[in-house]
Amino acid sequence: MAEESVLTDDFIRQLIDVGEVDILVGLATDNNAGTVGPILRTIQAGLLKSFPRERMVIINADGGSRDGTSELVTGASVDDMRRAYSGHTLRTLHSVSTRYAASPSSQAALRTILAAADLLRAKACAVISPESTNIEPEWIARLLRPVYHENFDLVTPIYRRHKFEGLLMRNLVYPMTRAVYGRRIREPYASEFGFSGRLGSDFLARDVWEHEGARFGREMELVIGAIAGNYRICQTYLGTKERVERQAADLVPAMRQTVAVLFSSMDTTFSFWSDTHGSQAIPTTGPESEVSLEPVRINRKRLKQMFSDGVAELEPVFSSILSPSTLSVLKHIASLGEEEFHYPAELWAKTVYEFAASYHKSVISRDHIIQALAPLYRGRIFTFLVENRSGSAEDVENNIENLCCEFERSKPYLLELCNGGK
Amino acid sequence: MPERSDALWYKNAVIYQVHVRAFYDSNGDGIGDFGGLAQKLDYLKELGIDAIWLMPFFPSPLRDDGYDIADYLSVHPTYGTLEDFKAFLAAAHQRQIRVIMEMVLNHTSDQHPWFQESRRSQDNPRRDWYVWSDTDSRYKGVRIIFLDTEMSNWAWDPISKSYYWHRFFSHQPDLNYDNPAVREQMWEVMRFWLKLGVDAFRLDAVPYLVEREGTSCENLPETHVIIKDLRRRVDEEFPGRMLLAEANQWPADLRPYFGDGDEFHMAFHFPLMPRMFMALKLEDRKPITEILQQTPEIPPSCQWALFLRNHDELTLEMVTDLERDYMYDAYAQSKTMRLNLGIRRRLAPLLDNDRRRIELMNGMLMSLPGTPIIYYGDEIGMGDNVNLGDRNGVRTPMQWSGGWNGGFSTADPEALYSPLLLNPVYGFQAINVSSQKRTEHSLLSWMQRIIQVRKSTPPFGSGSIEFLYPANHRVLAYARQLGNETILAVNNLSSSAQAVELDLRRYKGKVLIEMFGRNLFPRIGDLPYLLTMGPYQFYWFRLRKI
Repeated sequence: MAEESVLTDDFIRQLIDVGEVDILVGLATDNNAGTVGPILRTIQAGLLKSFPRERMVIINADGGSRDGTSELVTGASVDDMRRAYSGHTLRTLHSVSTRYAASPSSQAALRTILAAADLLRAKACAVISPESTNIEPEWIARLLRPVYHENFDLVTPIYRRHKFEGLLMRNLVYPMTRAVYGRRIREPYASEFGFSGRLGSDFLARDVWEHEGARFGREMELVIGAIAGNYRICQTYLGTKERVERQAADLVPAMRQTVAVLFSSMDTTFSFWSDTHGSQAIPTTGPESEVSLEPVRINRKRLKQMFSDGVAELEPVFSSILSPSTLSVLKHIASLGEEEFHYPAELWAKTVYEFAASYHKSVISRDHIIQALAPLYRGRIFTFLVENRSGSAEDVENNIENLCCEFERSKPYLLELCNGGK
Repeated sequence: MPERSDALWYKNAVIYQVHVRAFYDSNGDGIGDFGGLAQKLDYLKELGIDAIWLMPFFPSPLRDDGYDIADYLSVHPTYGTLEDFKAFLAAAHQRQIRVIMEMVLNHTSDQHPWFQESRRSQDNPRRDWYVWSDTDSRYKGVRIIFLDTEMSNWAWDPISKSYYWHRFFSHQPDLNYDNPAVREQMWEVMRFWLKLGVDAFRLDAVPYLVEREGTSCENLPETHVIIKDLRRRVDEEFPGRMLLAEANQWPADLRPYFGDGDEFHMAFHFPLMPRMFMALKLEDRKPITEILQQTPEIPPSCQWALFLRNHDELTLEMVTDLERDYMYDAYAQSKTMRLNLGIRRRLAPLLDNDRRRIELMNGMLMSLPGTPIIYYGDEIGMGDNVNLGDRNGVRTPMQWSGGWNGGFSTADPEALYSPLLLNPVYGFQAINVSSQKRTEHSLLSWMQRIIQVRKSTPPFGSGSIEFLYPANHRVLAYARQLGNETILAVNNLSSSAQAVELDLRRYKGKVLIEMFGRNLFPRIGDLPYLLTMGPYQFYWFRLRKI
């Protein structure tokens, strides 16, 4: 049942005109006029090429753009008044835009898209990032086809990335999600994904939207909800994910959207994950792509320095989060020089699990726990970069697989911690 | 006798297409005839139609349902005599019903004496009446129309040992319109029937009259010269008669057939028909509005002929490959329903016998710009028989009653020219005129009513059209205007109820009067006019200043 109150009257009126649809593509924007035009054209081309007979709509949930983003979206309609597409189409393709009522956040945008999908009874939906400027029409098909034609409920992407991109995903989010929930989903937090109307409606109806504590990372909750709800999940190779330059200060917000959601989800899904052992592969479609290997400059020295400074400055915090043995080893490696420094996979898995258990028990402010994990993560990344400095694509993949296995091996320790032990 | 001074009679007419053979058998031989057709004129008068379009009734070997003519100046003996035809024509005129007859100009039967003479020898005086060649390589690349049966547009004649040109079946050789004697002869044929009192001709296959090397052999300028000459002769000698073009072409290619009002009076709008079915299945008005946007203006004295179904397959020549595939999947999943580039089914089965959809499609037929043509039996929702070959499945006997042979004939059932429909849904016991006349809510009664309303509304026949483009794409809305009279037609193409907001500000202050129940709707103001519509519902409103 949709929560209609999140939608404005004007948006409801637009949805009445759209009517029931088979396919819905959601686009959450906030002043994205610089990139959204070509993305819309790609979505349009992908939809019209792959689903020429289906009833389709592009839904834009906008955070209040003042740069003409909404106008670009509505101009992408293909109907008998506007010919915003060079080819011939069987049907009208609506492209509608609404400003969501809450302050800008991905939560409000996703909720608006889910509510629209629910009201329009969309069978297959996809969410596309307004920053994915290298998106190709085939991405649309790969995200929607498994849902529309093969009855999958969730399609997560696998991007072609450089071996040193997506580090948080590779070193923490993926290995831990895989170990905890038993599904090998490479991108549990993705800016592009496909989902069924059934899953979307189920997620929309959950009592999570008014919860102040989780304004971010709903996309990841959707993935975890799909796993825990035993929905049918698959992955699809998309293509190269546009590299977005990140600042060091971006790390904590990124961890709030992913790691915090992952930790938090363990509260409500305990009975599911505590009974899950090992991990299962996920059906994967599309042409496989290897990681790219061209040299990139990363300031490893700074990462090491931030790790060491963090261990020193946050020791009182760590003492309430980590076990004495883990803290002791961390203090030791923090004192090592760059050449000797090594943050092994086993220690990293143990560290993350102790943080997760502390988060579960709320030993201190949960947000402080997430913030405190950031410097340790930087230490682990230093080691990852060193280990894979000259590694081939296969080497990198093997290292990630070893890390995942370490997380899986250590899972009993996590269970023990969450069940009361320290 | 119809009013001859009404030169534009065809613009506000409703035409009924019928095959003599299929309508009513008066002599019990199992085949419909002119005597039978004359007996059923009161039924047609009651239905409200203004003109009957007769499919070919000439002597013919009937290898193409009479479009293979063997004698242009007589009547096929199974349908009666020329005297029977004259009697029928007089009876129709007595009821103010005009008669449109088929005239196949492009080709004859290979059994026609002209062709028999022509093939006899290379120096026969009629040799040049047909298009002969020593090779089959002339006019390379010209499309083959009957793809399912013909491999080439040339056929080898073993008698004269040369090839002859045929755009349709190989037993239908094309006449040679470069020969003045042929043109003169065909005018004499038309003149013969016009002198008898026939009101109009439907000229079959007109784009193909002339052949020229290096062209598509369709729509050539020389063809227009021939049409203009025929039109001039008709106007001079038989004013008030009408020429209707059968040219399965895109609207822009059809436009020249109207000339400056000096070629055809009417032409079929072939591309619109499949798009009406497409729009209904897609629940999206786009196919209809797009093709009508592409339809050029025609001279004021001219008119489009609109139809939902006819004696041929639902042609899909004038659609894109994407649209054709969709139409096949939507309306002809079984291969037996497909023929050439089309679908050989009747209206009711195409629409799953859904009364709401049948009404909606007829509502659009009657309100879009053009003269509507109703195919016999569709007014009662007759079905088809896809097990019969060619297009015979849509040419089964008219179902008059639930009695012997559906009231069509007193002959033994085995003697009928075609088996009757017997299935429990469309069989004559279930669908027939007699039972539908007994209830005012039958499809037949509804058709009578809509024809009556259509005929009393001149803007439908002669008015301009303006689309409203409401944001709800499942609703097709347009205003038809003639002088001060404005009609608003709103059609819900969807299988579900719809709300639609119409921008009617230009008609502010006027009141909407629903034309079937004559009920008042709220006055138009500044705000968008909100209508809620049931599944497949349509409204016709008269806009009145009160």
